Amino acid sequence: METPKPSNSNDILLRLLSASELRARVISANIANQNTPGYTRQEVRFEDALREAVASGSKLKGLQPEIIQDTITPARPDGNNVNLELELNALRENRILFETYATIMQGRTTLKDIAVSGGR
Amino acid sequence: MSGMDKLFSGMRIAATGLTAERTRIDVIAENIANARTTRTENGGPYRRKVVRFEPLLRESMGFGAAKGDNVLGVVATSVEQDFTNDPQMVRDPGHPDANADGMVAYPNVNTVLEMADLITALRAYEANLTAQENFVRMAERALRILQ
Repeated sequence: METPKPSNSNDILLRLLSASELRARVISANIANQNTPGYTRQEVRFEDALREAVASGSKLKGLQPEIIQDTITPARPDGNNVNLELELNALRENRILFETYATIMQGRTTLKDIAVSGGR
Repeated sequence: MSGMDKLFSGMRIAATGLTAERTRIDVIAENIANARTTRTENGGPYRRKVVRFEPLLRESMGFGAAKGDNVLGVVATSVEQDFTNDPQMVRDPGHPDANADGMVAYPNVNTVLEMADLITALRAYEANLTAQENFVRMAERALRILQ
């Protein structure tokens, strides 16, 4: 995989942060509807598509996170397929990702500040 | 919608979950409290009540159909009486509400079942609280990038 150009990598980080934020909302909606009969859980897909786009060097402009209905996970008798433990785990995983992207971004911002101030 | 607004709307999703689960807890408490109520204003014993949950969809809020995040939370749409099983008939001739055969109609409330429901409702409430806390931490982390 080719290393993305600096201007590009900030864009990628912002997109990752935004996808992570969307995922947190979708997981929260699943948790809120864990007792709603007939509710189908939703998932956010983004990282795989992003990885492919970066690897193939194609334009990132139109790349958007995708919300999909999870019809694979088997449903309970009431037609709901939310598993609370899995959702809470996904929420924690997602927060770690968010922290990671934020930390990298913060590091980049700090570097830029040093460059602007000439290291003084 | 700006970045911070999205985090706030996430907090609101969790808040709808908290409200809905609290409604369920209230209804369960009412069922347990009335497990032995043999006379109501409609006559006859108390009937078990159940809450109906529905997803709160973007369309129903008048925002129009949008692709992407469509579920804005959950809402307890109604509290209805449970008519799936009949009152339990118990022989107690001395009871003021006993019929001619000495039988008393007790509510169709199973307190063991209600207690089990109460536990799942409390767990669901806590999960929504965790989700809400998650957005607070994300917002705080996002703010720290600017420091």
